[in-house]
Amino acid sequence: MFYWTGLCFNAKLDRMRNFFRGRLGTKKVSFRILLVVLIIPFFYVKFAYSQDDSASVSESTMVAQQPDDTTGNQNSENEAIIPGKDSAHLSETDSAASGHEETTATPGEIDHAVSEGHEIDEVKRGERFFRGLLPFRSESQSCVSCHNIRQVDTLNWNPSAHDIAVKYAHMDFAAFQNAVMNPTGVKIQASHQNFELTEDDLRTVKSFLDNMAAEGPVASKPSYNNLILFLFLGLLLTWAIIELIFLKKIKWKFIPVILLIGAFGWQIKMIVTDAIRLGRQENYAPDQPVKFSHAVHVGENGIDCMYCHTTVEQGKSAGIPAANLCMNCHIIIREGTNSGKFEISKVVEANETGQPIEWTRIHNLPDHVFFSHAVHVGSAKLDCATCHGPVEEMDVMRQHSDLSMGWCINCHRETQVNFEENDYYDQYIKLHEDLKAGRIDTITAEDIGANDCMRCHY
Amino acid sequence: MVKYWRSLDELKDPVAFKKNELKLEVDTKRELFKKESASSRRDFLKTFGFSVAAAAVVASCKKPIDKAIPYLIKPEEVTPGMANYYASTYFDANEYCSVLVKVRDGRPIKIEGNNLSSVSQQGTTARVQASVLNLYDDARFKTPLKQGSATAWEEVDAEIVQKLAELKAENRKVVLLTSTIISPSTKKVIGEFLEEYPNAEWLQYDAVSATGILKANQASFGKAFLPDYHFEKAKVIVSFGADFLGTWLSPVEYTKAYTAGRRVLETSDEMNRHYQFETGMTVTGSNADVRFPVKPSEEAVIIADLYNQLLSAKGMAPVSGQKSSVDLSALVEDLIENEGESLVVSGSNDENVQIIVNAINNLLGNYGSAISLKKTLNTRQGLDDEFESFLSELNSGNISGVLCWGVNPVYNHPKGETIKTALENIFLSVSFADRKDETTAACQFVCPEPHYLEAWNDAEPKSGVYSLAQPTIPKLFDSRQPQESLARWSGTESPDFYTFLKNNWENEIFVQQDEFANTQMFWNDALQKGVFESEQEISQNISYSENGLENALSAIQPASSGWEIAFYENMGMVNGNFANNPWLQELPDPIAKISWDNFAAVPVRWAEENGVANESVITVNGVELPVFVQPGQAPDTISVALGYGRQVAGKVGEGVGKNMFAQTIVENGAKKFWLAGAEVVKTEKTYKLALSQTHHSMEGRPIVRETTYDEWKIDPASGNEKHEEVEDHHVTLYPEPEFKGHHWGMAVDLSSCIGCGNCAISCQAENNIQVIGKEQVRNRRIMHWIRVDRYFSNDAENPEVYHQPVMCQHCDNAPCENVCPVSATPHSEEGLNQMAYNRCVGTKYCVNNCPYRVRRFNWFQYINNDEFDYASNSELGRMVLNPDVTVRSRGVVEKCSFCVQRIQEKKAQAKVDGRPIEDGEIQPACVQSCPGNALVFGDLNNSESKISKLFKNKRNYHLLEELHTLPSVGYLTKVRNKKA
Repeated sequence: MFYWTGLCFNAKLDRMRNFFRGRLGTKKVSFRILLVVLIIPFFYVKFAYSQDDSASVSESTMVAQQPDDTTGNQNSENEAIIPGKDSAHLSETDSAASGHEETTATPGEIDHAVSEGHEIDEVKRGERFFRGLLPFRSESQSCVSCHNIRQVDTLNWNPSAHDIAVKYAHMDFAAFQNAVMNPTGVKIQASHQNFELTEDDLRTVKSFLDNMAAEGPVASKPSYNNLILFLFLGLLLTWAIIELIFLKKIKWKFIPVILLIGAFGWQIKMIVTDAIRLGRQENYAPDQPVKFSHAVHVGENGIDCMYCHTTVEQGKSAGIPAANLCMNCHIIIREGTNSGKFEISKVVEANETGQPIEWTRIHNLPDHVFFSHAVHVGSAKLDCATCHGPVEEMDVMRQHSDLSMGWCINCHRETQVNFEENDYYDQYIKLHEDLKAGRIDTITAEDIGANDCMRCHY
Repeated sequence: MVKYWRSLDELKDPVAFKKNELKLEVDTKRELFKKESASSRRDFLKTFGFSVAAAAVVASCKKPIDKAIPYLIKPEEVTPGMANYYASTYFDANEYCSVLVKVRDGRPIKIEGNNLSSVSQQGTTARVQASVLNLYDDARFKTPLKQGSATAWEEVDAEIVQKLAELKAENRKVVLLTSTIISPSTKKVIGEFLEEYPNAEWLQYDAVSATGILKANQASFGKAFLPDYHFEKAKVIVSFGADFLGTWLSPVEYTKAYTAGRRVLETSDEMNRHYQFETGMTVTGSNADVRFPVKPSEEAVIIADLYNQLLSAKGMAPVSGQKSSVDLSALVEDLIENEGESLVVSGSNDENVQIIVNAINNLLGNYGSAISLKKTLNTRQGLDDEFESFLSELNSGNISGVLCWGVNPVYNHPKGETIKTALENIFLSVSFADRKDETTAACQFVCPEPHYLEAWNDAEPKSGVYSLAQPTIPKLFDSRQPQESLARWSGTESPDFYTFLKNNWENEIFVQQDEFANTQMFWNDALQKGVFESEQEISQNISYSENGLENALSAIQPASSGWEIAFYENMGMVNGNFANNPWLQELPDPIAKISWDNFAAVPVRWAEENGVANESVITVNGVELPVFVQPGQAPDTISVALGYGRQVAGKVGEGVGKNMFAQTIVENGAKKFWLAGAEVVKTEKTYKLALSQTHHSMEGRPIVRETTYDEWKIDPASGNEKHEEVEDHHVTLYPEPEFKGHHWGMAVDLSSCIGCGNCAISCQAENNIQVIGKEQVRNRRIMHWIRVDRYFSNDAENPEVYHQPVMCQHCDNAPCENVCPVSATPHSEEGLNQMAYNRCVGTKYCVNNCPYRVRRFNWFQYINNDEFDYASNSELGRMVLNPDVTVRSRGVVEKCSFCVQRIQEKKAQAKVDGRPIEDGEIQPACVQSCPGNALVFGDLNNSESKISKLFKNKRNYHLLEELHTLPSVGYLTKVRNKKA
């Protein structure tokens, strides 16, 4: 914007006018205008990127089988594997998921496999096979219709291609083949039944996966919608200005004026909204290393929040449960209705190998904010859902509130304090008197200084 | 009216001084401005362009994805984000302190005093506070070394054992050279080692030893021991050069006792009287009621004369001796009046002097009251003459192996160079040092010991008083306790020291109590409390005899003429062990207010007569030293601090100041810490000192208020008449501030504050205060949130000294608050003057408008910046940061917050428990470990609280109260017990 004002309202205004009027038709001028138009949203491009990452919105509804729509999907038997119809119960108590015991490959072989890269052709062929781009010899679905290649923003209970790749990277082909063709889990059995894959095809898939394990998952494309809109508005704006100052072809001046104001206003709004959102992550729901579902644990099984988040009443942090806490139940429950054995086996493995699970942090206050769960839950007896929302419905945990300072402050203004019940407040003698005398009706958190700077910043 | 002054220039010509000071400040600022922002329009455009680009880049940065990694198996006692406290024991540089270690998420981050200890009684010193930073010192050894290169323990063990076996077979002498060891279990380990190697000998060596007292007691009592001094039982305290509040023997304990005997709040309270004879101005001397600046050579004469005069006062026959130059009649009178309730101590390392001191104490009947013989103090056991004979054997080649543990004679012995050469050429030399030092550099093998916060240990600072140390963090580096090394080398099958220690306690110490019948219960209890006191009555069957007194009296030399140089340990550096600790290097000397250097403190009159001023350079016996003109320095003397001038210490400590140990001499088998007949030469050079003396000036307003004990007894408000006057005239157009719940406040008893600086370091550790280096200290930018101001009054030759800790006064009508353009510093509902760093834009209006000068501005990014290569420039050093306090960035103002993180924590606890906060439950860092109990924190709204009572005390006043700033910090007038 400043660029424009600088350009048009300096002393050279007249010259500029001539410049545009005289040679507007030529290629050179168009190029210049284009350049100017492109410069404005340059910074915005940056904004768009940062926003994409920080708030990848996810649906909370459960989608059992989300075909990857970027690939040709030959899916025809979708119903057969929708979880509701899957009659699997928590039955078997295998020590680990299928193929887990068969860790036989020596590290040397893996190095060989990965470093050799399995012949680039083989990997390519494997990828095409995985994506279902090669004709199946049977009626089976392509691998990708259940196992995502790249991150998606909806829940897919099935292990992603990368998950599988990492798991089997250190195992030999036989183990992999066994896991695909003769699975032990109830759910996977149902999905993989009637698979007729040749060993050659499977080998190519394995090499594709091994390659993926080494190279990491396929990167997802950033979304450009906002950017395109912004650029379009910029173009509109530019046109309106040129029309108003130089071309003057449209009789009714209000048309370019309205367009100018509208486009400019909308751009400003976009910038302001995103600037405010900068660093906030409402609805942030990142992929987690384990597909842990609060909907299953809290919603379906009714486990109390504090069963796992044990320190919420005493500590500043609610506490992410230690992996051994999971084993209280999962020592027995080794297969989930939705996720099969694959996800639970990660937790078991963590306990067996002593490698803690590296969760992706969702609720992340800035470093200069000191928040205490103890005060809010232990003392103020707030319900977890007040801030964390309907966790019992979330398969993928997401940040419900924006955790902005305004949000905190507003709540403190409205929330009443357990003034009579908690003996701590005995020392607020004056307020007690006022309350008794009826001079005030309620005591809110703000009244006892909850909105002081140094309650949270020190 | 008493005239208060901060420096000699001010005393002489206050107006010119003020002008000059102002000019200096302007000059400094102009200079800084020139240096730092000699910016042109082009620079501005560059910066502007860069900022825009940077903003764009920053905006484009993806928000980092944070990981949250929970425990695999959560330890029961750990709650993430909540600190645990473990009792432990600090013993270094001959100083014992029982401590609580604050451990946050597996990292020790703060040392607190342990209130269960009868010795340190919840007090600490600045050294103890700073010791946590030593844990995260880059100069620590990461692995065992052989000839300076890293190696493995197996290799070191194999070679050393082989060499030891060889020496044993050939019966060549090996010496285990340690500093004083007060750990009974370690002594046992050493005993076992000596049994295995009959050719080995154990020798304790202290850099600053107590040889004089030990030998004198050997003569007077037949046993070389340090007695158990009880300063609280003495009504008259006489000290001859003993800095018992600062560095002498057991300073925390003595400070607690001393201040307890001087706290006057109720009219019934009594106050001791303290006489101090000393050369340079020490912390102890600055607190004395009567102080005599004397030459070191005069001290002995005065002591002998005092003995004589006491003899004649008691009607006994005086012995022949010289007359002292000081009139002692008032002192003698006082001592006679308070017979059996007095205490005479001397810091001299001369056996003869100490024998006479013993005689005086015996004459006054102080043994059994202020000097207890029931228990002995064990913190200094090294005898200098033993070390001297070791030295001659070492030089003659009689010794073939030396194992050094906790000693650094190459640095702190006058014959350091010869020791170095001898160590380099010896058959076997091993050092157990945990970080670089001069002696270790000369040793073949380095078997690094862990920091005390990583190790098991025990201690017996006084006979029957035991103390345990436990690890609070897994070993950061590949270190091993020397106890374990020694056990391994003596062929013990299970050399684990923890098991050994526990067994030892179960066998030896468990039997000394009958509270617990179960050894495990006893062990757990002792470990939890950190201390255990034997219930058995210990009786030393000793009695005083006049052995050696006659010789001692006749050995007293007359005072010499000419220059005398006195060496002293200062508060921060002590014997130089902590040279690589930037917190201590930056702690201003309590009297001179100089950091980052030692200096020659010269007497005022000589400086005036010879045109020597601060920062001039003189040579003392050939050593160039910067000058500080010290009010109260005895004529013809110069005092210089020991503990500086380390050559091998690490990036912080190397080359700071000059090593004065090299100048000390050994006389009659004892190190002597003063020199007669020194040569002092003026030079034309100057040397910049990081002097903070005239900082934070209060423009000559009556800041310190004082009275004498006698006046106070008549009128408790004496000296504080202005307070009532101001209170009467408080008028305001605005509504009085009202605090519905709490109103936090702090009281400072100026009579109890000895000016030691413990609070400054404690605060530094708690609040992530950054070290800024000598250059920036000179630029008047020191970051300490609590500073201890020092004022002088009266005679420059022998002034009275006042220490006044000043932190943010949390004014209820704060001048800083209403000038902030961005509301970054509003007032809280609980009376705190808040500082929101993330709101601050750095206008510094508040800094300029604060009449107390307590706000600090971050002129630079002090963390993670190569320009400030101190503790916070490495991952390791930053481990000490307190996660509960924001690390401030460049461009924001900071100041004391009354440790709001502690207030919030305790409040949260009380809320969750559903109970009111108890008085004294919240203790800011400075209050918690104050050795003088000078600071009290609490809720002014609670009429029963200690602080409310202190605020009602007639001695209470506020700084600059006439400004109607309504501070939440009160000061109690300084009371001195002068003789009427």
